[in-house]
Amino acid sequence: MFRILILFLLFFTLSSCSSPEGTWGWYVIDPSTKAGWTNIKFLVGGFYSTILLSIIAAFLSIFIGLVVALPAMSDNKLLKLFNRVYVEFIRSIPLLPMLFWVFYGLPVILKSMGIDANIDAFWGAIITLAISDSAFTAEIYRAGIQSISKGQTEAAKTIGLNYYQTMRYVIMPQALRRILPPLANQFIYIVKMSAFASVIGMQELTRRANEIVVTEYRPLEIYTLLIFEYLILVLLISFGVRYLEKKLGSNESASS
Amino acid sequence: MKNSFAVEIKGLTKSFKDFKALDTIDLNIKHGEKVVICGPSGSGKSTLIRCINGLEDFDEGKISISDNPQKPSKESFVSDFHIGMVFQQFNLFPHLSVIENLKLGPMKSLGLSEKDADTRARKLLERVKIPEQALKKPNQLSGGQQQRVAIARALCMEPKLMLFDEPTSALDPEMISEVLEVIVDLAREGMTMVVVTHEMGFAKKVADRIIFMDGGSIVEQNSPGMFFKKPQTARCKKFLKQILHH
Repeated sequence: MFRILILFLLFFTLSSCSSPEGTWGWYVIDPSTKAGWTNIKFLVGGFYSTILLSIIAAFLSIFIGLVVALPAMSDNKLLKLFNRVYVEFIRSIPLLPMLFWVFYGLPVILKSMGIDANIDAFWGAIITLAISDSAFTAEIYRAGIQSISKGQTEAAKTIGLNYYQTMRYVIMPQALRRILPPLANQFIYIVKMSAFASVIGMQELTRRANEIVVTEYRPLEIYTLLIFEYLILVLLISFGVRYLEKKLGSNESASS
Repeated sequence: MKNSFAVEIKGLTKSFKDFKALDTIDLNIKHGEKVVICGPSGSGKSTLIRCINGLEDFDEGKISISDNPQKPSKESFVSDFHIGMVFQQFNLFPHLSVIENLKLGPMKSLGLSEKDADTRARKLLERVKIPEQALKKPNQLSGGQQQRVAIARALCMEPKLMLFDEPTSALDPEMISEVLEVIVDLAREGMTMVVVTHEMGFAKKVADRIIFMDGGSIVEQNSPGMFFKKPQTARCKKFLKQILHH
């Protein structure tokens, strides 16, 4: 993986050397010049918001997803319906319209209810990402939990465990191993979709790239850097998840 | 007035869509009685015992456990008269060690301390003759050992009644006897039990009564001696012939 990365970098550097008047103009982010260094610092500064945004949204989504998924496994038809409606509705809304709705629309609704809440770009983006993603996490939970055989729930009942205890001590520990890989996928998805927050003015990676593009007129170099910024984030997540899976996996091989 | 029945079933009826799984079953089981239920597959044996401990709800009729009427619902419950169950597929918790499998119920639902639960669990592992496997995961054990762990797990809750749902059907033939031995020991100690099984040798040895079910009804019931010597109905005769010729 890293070899490919290095190859890419090499290709870009070389191409910039070989055509001084040509298509590449790496000077905009050349760390050896003062202007370039300032640009780099500004662009990389977006990491903070992107990471914070993604992590908070992911945590919320993991929580909301569980709350939405559990009713799907109940015997109550109304609860089941709630799950279906939520999942189908939320997952059909494209992220961008939802973002606009939350950012521009939600405050109006809240105001009409007498709540004077100003939703800033940061929280608008978090709410949107978390809710939009929660429909998918809910489905992941459902698939994971339903993949645990019914006999486990029945055995838990016969030793007197209640619903919560059955979930906590019997079902979730087993389901978690199956849920983790697709959940990690969703986290990667959130990181990438956080780029949409740029349109409502959130100062994250993409927004900062756009701002430099507007002043420097060098979209190719800046967006190339932007892509690598996301690549680094996603690779870090991948490594983290591999590590977690290995830890859980060694346990799994001894148990199922 | 306290009567002498551990389980009292009146007019129990249950359908899965169009299929009548149980058809007005009447059955009383005395404290300390050992009942063996046999019959062809689909005859309602498993459904019947799953109704007794509330794993299955039912449409009509009444089940009283030691004088307490059972609601027709799937709610789990722990009462003074706890019912233990052993499944065909063991249903051990694969992510927990053997001893943790045993301790979970007593600790979480009876509120025992870790130490008390551990003492109880180890005693029971002795009793099912696998104390040395305490720290292993279920899948590291043989099928027979797993089923003995499952029995110990059920006993850990100190049940007054034990239900066995074809406890040896998923086992390799050479492991059947080690599991049956444990159940026989349990029977000798006076445990009330209902066993769904096709092990007729076992039935002869421990049963006070053998019940033959077919098509969701109790077709015949008798003491083991009479049951094997003089089956009353043609269906039962046919069933015994098939099963004993194996």
